[in-house]
Amino acid sequence: MLFNGVRAAAIQGRGKITVLGGREEREQTMAVSLRESVQRVSDPRNLDASVEEVFRLMLGIECKRDAGPANAESESVTAVVGFGGMLSGACVFRSGARTALKIAAQMTGMEFETVDDTVKDGIGEICNMLAGGWKGKVPELAANCGLSVPAVITGRDYNLHVQAPEFQLHHIYRFDDQTFEVTIVCDGIQ
Amino acid sequence: MGEIRALIVDDSSVMRKIVERALRQAGLDQLVVHEAGSGAEGIEVLKSKPVDLILSDINMPIMDGLEFLRQIRAQNLAQGVPVVMITTESSEEHVKQAIQSGAQGYIRKPFTAEQVKERVLPLVRAA
Repeated sequence: MLFNGVRAAAIQGRGKITVLGGREEREQTMAVSLRESVQRVSDPRNLDASVEEVFRLMLGIECKRDAGPANAESESVTAVVGFGGMLSGACVFRSGARTALKIAAQMTGMEFETVDDTVKDGIGEICNMLAGGWKGKVPELAANCGLSVPAVITGRDYNLHVQAPEFQLHHIYRFDDQTFEVTIVCDGIQ
Repeated sequence: MGEIRALIVDDSSVMRKIVERALRQAGLDQLVVHEAGSGAEGIEVLKSKPVDLILSDINMPIMDGLEFLRQIRAQNLAQGVPVVMITTESSEEHVKQAIQSGAQGYIRKPFTAEQVKERVLPLVRAA
């Protein structure tokens, strides 16, 4: 599975920062660089803080990073939000179907038996908030890195493969008896 | 507080429901909600239905929240109606763009019902 389409959407749609000045709009050139700050951008604590915040505030769930392995389920749900602009890459959320149903139930107050459109919508929105929260931890990224709208994939027995990223964070988190994975893939940084 | 007619614009139907729930928890129990999945749909709603409050996401397909704001001002829709942006984008630059485009409030996702109450109720009372 490749993320080029999602990343392209983020790059095309959100890569330019527009500043309104009176009636005129001008595009502001990205003058800052993150090239020297890869270590800061890839700090794993930023991802942990973002995940814990989203789950605590939106779901009322305390979840913690876990050594893994993630629960094995053949049916899984994957959401992808692309990054574009100063950093290109993607935020990927993946869980088993049972975990996705539980997260969607907690978000909406409804019960779900199958991964329907509402469940996919909810998981996509979780991924969107994780991506936004993660980039928001680094001020240069918050202002100069855009997000694509989420794409959600469901299916059985598939694998994700990323070709030689600049850096990658892959963490497993646990709440109750459920696990999920969040991956930040960076394949380009200015 | 009497009946409040709110337009909630977000491409996520789940998020629209969460925002509605937060508004009710904030004390807007006599709430009439209109929903739109994009800025373009929001414009259509505003052409046919009067509202007292608008809450909008920024990152949406078809027409994003900032363009939605510019369009409703350009078309003189919803004059005097407070607009609050609810979005994952949290930089000062995004807040500035939203305010310059006509928003009166800004809430970052993820949010609590208390934050919605603090930032929305004063605007509704003042309108």
